[in-house]
Amino acid sequence: MRIGRPCAVVLVLALGVTGAFAASLSASTGTLGAARVATPRCTAAGLSVLQNLSSGTVVSVTVANLPSACGNATLQVTVNNGAANASGSGTVPAAGGSVTITLGSAPAVAAAEQTDLVIIGP
Amino acid sequence: MSRIVGAPGALAVAGLVLLGLAAPALAAGLSLASQNLTPYRTCTITGTPAASTAVSDASVRQASATSNFGTSATNNVATGNGANRRLYIRFDLSLCSPTIPSTATVRLATLRIYITAVPASCRTVDVFRVTTSWVESTLTWNNQPFGTTINNPANTSASDTYTIGSPAGCQNLATGAYAVGAVVTTDVALFVAGTATNFGWMLRDDVEGSSTTYTQTYSAKDLGTVGQAPQLVVTYVTAP
Repeated sequence: MRIGRPCAVVLVLALGVTGAFAASLSASTGTLGAARVATPRCTAAGLSVLQNLSSGTVVSVTVANLPSACGNATLQVTVNNGAANASGSGTVPAAGGSVTITLGSAPAVAAAEQTDLVIIGP
Repeated sequence: MSRIVGAPGALAVAGLVLLGLAAPALAAGLSLASQNLTPYRTCTITGTPAASTAVSDASVRQASATSNFGTSATNNVATGNGANRRLYIRFDLSLCSPTIPSTATVRLATLRIYITAVPASCRTVDVFRVTTSWVESTLTWNNQPFGTTINNPANTSASDTYTIGSPAGCQNLATGAYAVGAVVTTDVALFVAGTATNFGWMLRDDVEGSSTTYTQTYSAKDLGTVGQAPQLVVTYVTAP
């Protein structure tokens, strides 16, 4: 009986810590976990992201200024023109540089388009 | 009761394990399980269709100081004795969807204009952030934001410069391509953060008033050709 109360306190603390870990998993902070482990990224450079057009549509996207640290990573690209999405993926050259990603479909060029790209790996 | 007393004892041990080991264990686990993920987002604003308000562009001409060229199919930058021309251009960043957050970090912003004629000399073009308002349909040489004094503002206050013309060695030699080298990352970062109002940019020859006239020509929004329309490409990240 004498150790019952401290045990309850420890249990509450333990559960609380678990909750804190869950709450701290935020992609927007660029960190994971209460230990604030930085999300690993291969670059923070200013990547050049240019659309390649054909007959008023976006057929591919060229991503340049890729450093060698991103070499062999998978590059996923999605273009959204407000009405449709088009995606594609490719591999970053081992030495970095540039890569052109052909889209699965060709959305029409609009006044504004959003291009999301994610480099996975290496 | 003995079971109850005994169970907390075990829980105490478990709790201590959690307290003492959970943080490094989870951190290590996440580190090992996660991959490099490098997300970027780009907003590309294009002057299309010609009637779109996404882009406002107009040249002003010293030799036609009270005329407006807001509906011209071409834009010019020129230097010459009484024949200087400047290009004003603005992109509506509010069209980006989703809106670029004010806390975003702008990694690269590039101004792209399509070249249709280059001067027979390698000229330097200065890109200046405009700090007062102007209207595409009423802009003239005489009422332009930077005034009528040539070589004003000083080229030292330019946001960026690029070169265009011949001979080899110039950044932009050929027609039929977008000009490279107009990087306006710092300006767009100010616009996004709300610390400067977006009145666009003015492009002029680095040395106005040349005894020989040198003119460069770009496709304007009003040409209505999608593949030649002016563009602003903004690449940013929303996480540090």
